[in-house]
Formats: sequence, structure tokens, C-alpha cells
Amino acid sequence: MIIHILNGFVYGGLLYLVAIGLVLIFGIRQVVNFAHGSLFMLGAYVGYAATAIAGFWAGVVAATLVLAILGLLLDRAVFRPLQDQDPIVTLLVTFGLLLVIEDLVRTVWGKDTLTIAMPDLLSGTLRIAGEDFPVYRLFVILVAAGMGAGLTLWLKRSRIGLYVRAFASDPLTTGTQGVDTERVSAAVVALGAGFAGLAGIIAGPLLALSPAMGGSILIESFIVVVVGGFGSFSGAFVAALVIGQLQNLGIVFIPSFSTMIPFLLMMLILLWRPLGLTGRAA
Amino acid sequence: MTLLSFDAVDAFYGRAQVLRGVSLAIGKGERVGLLGRNGVGKTTVVNALQGIAQVGRGAVVMAGQPAPRIRHYSAARAGISVVPQGRRIIPALSVRENLLLGAAVARPGPWTLARVFELFPVLKERQHTPGTALSGGQQQMLAIGRALMANPDLLVLDEPSEGLAPVIVDELAEVFVRLADEGTSLLLIEQHISLIRRVVERYHIMSKGMIVDSGPLAQLTTEKLKQHVAV
Repeated sequence: MIIHILNGFVYGGLLYLVAIGLVLIFGIRQVVNFAHGSLFMLGAYVGYAATAIAGFWAGVVAATLVLAILGLLLDRAVFRPLQDQDPIVTLLVTFGLLLVIEDLVRTVWGKDTLTIAMPDLLSGTLRIAGEDFPVYRLFVILVAAGMGAGLTLWLKRSRIGLYVRAFASDPLTTGTQGVDTERVSAAVVALGAGFAGLAGIIAGPLLALSPAMGGSILIESFIVVVVGGFGSFSGAFVAALVIGQLQNLGIVFIPSFSTMIPFLLMMLILLWRPLGLTGRAA
Repeated sequence: MTLLSFDAVDAFYGRAQVLRGVSLAIGKGERVGLLGRNGVGKTTVVNALQGIAQVGRGAVVMAGQPAPRIRHYSAARAGISVVPQGRRIIPALSVRENLLLGAAVARPGPWTLARVFELFPVLKERQHTPGTALSGGQQQMLAIGRALMANPDLLVLDEPSEGLAPVIVDELAEVFVRLADEGTSLLLIEQHISLIRRVVERYHIMSKGMIVDSGPLAQLTTEKLKQHVAV
């Protein structure tokens, strides 16, 4: 049972890393980014390319940095102009972006699935509760937990974190206090995209890489964001862990229904609390 | 030095023109009142210097420098802090965090968190509660404290007495006089006449988006108040 729970944390951790980017970008730019799953996918492919040249750890750094830089460019070229637009325009533009990124990856790396080898350092197993558990999966849990803790500390303790929370709550007043909100936004979008890239590369050794791999994690990340309460950092953390566990235990105990579980949970939560677990009325 | 000047400024929200040829200037150490009924454009003067209303014709000068393209942060960075109408306390932040946000512009000066807590002890007592959980008067103190954290040369106060009990307004008047005595210039936008009389040394009256009368406080007669301010 402990092994199943740990596997739930692995999936929940990956979901959290992707979902938190959605939360950050929505909180700052009020843009629902349908292209976020393709940033996860692109992170995996960039990581694959860098791993082939300089090893897995270079792949981790490259995927995170390249996606963070791409986030900066997207913020300037797409999210900033979109922030005051009709939500349907946002949906169409980010959906178009998703298709462009998928096509680009298909053109560069082809349609066939690819794999990223686990680093030697993390390729063994560890004996936990009488069963073997892959060290790499523990690494994924630790990365997600570390990123979650780091982000929380950054938001709560740092000056820029204060500006981010203020901006997500009242952008105009934050700007009039002297904060350059465009720079803060660009940094936050870069952070969100960087998290997606990191999630992509560390998921690489666990998944088969394909241009379509961003689709399913995007849908479940949206469920995490909705269940947690749109715009809530702590809500996304709790929801990712819960959905990760339910999804994984569902695969083990009721495999025919497992894919429905996140959707059922979302429906129940929305009926019970329409603004999500931590959502509050404006 | 002139801290803030409007020279024949027209200001707009989209296509709707609100300010028409407004000219005013506030120098170092001055205490100026801006009066007028609701809807005459007083808050638009504030909004124009924060990039919320768009300046068309005319020129705005902040801290001696022309401001051809005004952004939301321009005034704060030029040493002009605004206590906005309605206070605009940020709900997601505690009292302490709201104050720290005011220090986003790291200008040197006497105002620190400790000094703001000394001025308004209730803010120290409640520093860890959400800013919006405070009473109206305490929220006004928080908005003033937040503005002071930027160590401004000019403090713009937009209807600070709005919705407050007379005893709180008296307390605030004492604070404004003390701030002015310590060298902070003030632009007090108000309809509360006794507050104006206690704090400012000269005035401008607005009507229909224009400055229609200006002068030293001694020239602010009851007739003018009846004509332009009283409901």
C-alpha cells in the first residue's frame, strides 16, 4: 500500500509542477493558457536533446532554462496583449499556440515516441516496506516537494513574492505603489513555463515522449486548478496531491473507472464549493 | 522645486473627456486643497498622475521632470504617494505586508515600518491580520502608512475623511498637520470643509472638469463654498 501511495505522490508531484504554472499565469495575466501542456511536452523534448549531448542533468537545466526564456517571450508577445481581451480570444490564441508547438516538435523530432534514459545515479531501487521502489520515482517526489516548498517560501518571504501576491489580488493598486508590474508578470510567466519544462524533463524517463503527451496532463492540470480554486497556490498543491492519489489508487483497485475519477472529483467539488477547495468569493 | 504641476491638462477615460485645461502646481513644503462637488473631476486629477486616466493635451511635470508617458508607477517613483479614494487595501495581504508594499519604491527618508507603527500604534497591534479586516478608520491609517513607507516628497490624499466618524477625522487632521510640519507637501482633495481649513494654506476649486477658483485659504469664503462645494 505504501508503494501505491508513493506512486500517487509521483503523479501528484508532476501534476503540481504543471498546474502551478497555470495558476501563476492566470493569477498574474488572467489568461487561461491552453498551450501549457505543450510547454510540458516541449520541456521533455528539449531535455531529450540536451541529454543526448551532455547527459541527464544538463537536460534538466536546459529544459528549465529554455522554457523559462520561452515563457518570457510568450509573456511579451502573447499573454500581455491578451490580458484585457475577451476570454474566447485568449482560448483561441493559446489553443493555436498549442497546435503550433506540437507541429514544431513533430517537424524537428518526428512522430515516433522517444525515451529518455534514467541517470545512472538514480537508476536503482530502494527497499521500502518490504518492496522495491525505484529511486528515480523518489527523486521526482523530492523535486516536486522541493519546488513546492521553494515557491511557497518565495511567495511568502521574498519582496518579489509579496509583489506577486499583491498583483494577483489588485494589479492596479500594486502598480500605483511603484511596482513595475510588467516586469513582475514577465518573471512569473517565465517561472511558470520553467516549472512546466522541469516537469517535462523529469517525467521523461517515466513516459514515452510524443508530441501529443501534453494533452492529458493539461486536462488533469486544469482539473487540479479548478478543484484547488482558480488562482490559489495552496489549493493547487492540495488538489494535485489528492488527484494524484485517487488516480493512482484507482488504477490499482478499479482500473476500468480510474480515468473518470478526476472528473468525478471535479464535479463533486464544484457542486459542493463552486469556487474550489480554497476559492473565496471576490 | 515644483513637485507636481499640471499645465493646461486635458484628461480622458477612453474617449470621455473629464479634465479640461487643468493647471495647478505644488512646491516643496506646500499644503494645497482641491475642492469641488462629486463628479467634477477631482479624482481624475489623481488618476491622471497615476496613468489611470489618459493625459491628452497639456503637460504633467513630476519632481521637476516632464512626464510624457505616465505609467501606474510613475508618480510613486517621482516621490508622489497617493492615499486613494476608497483606500484600496489589498485583501490578500496582512497589515504589515500592505505597509511593506508601500516601500516598493526604495526612496531614502525617515519613514520605516517602526515609525509608521509609532504614528499609528493600532497598526502594530494588528499587523498580522488581513488589511481588509480593519475598521474604516484603521484602514485609512493603513493607507496613509502605506503611502508614507515610500518616503514621499508629496502626499496626495483623495477624500481621506470619506465614511469616517468625526472623531477619527479629527485624529487624521492632526496627523496631516504633523506630516506637513515635518516637511511633507500635501495635496488634500476633500469636501470636508473643516478638515480643509485645518490643514491647507491655499486652495483650488474644481467644477465641470476645470479649475474655477484658486487662492490662499483666507480667500475661501462661505459664498464660494456654497456655490461650488456645498450640496
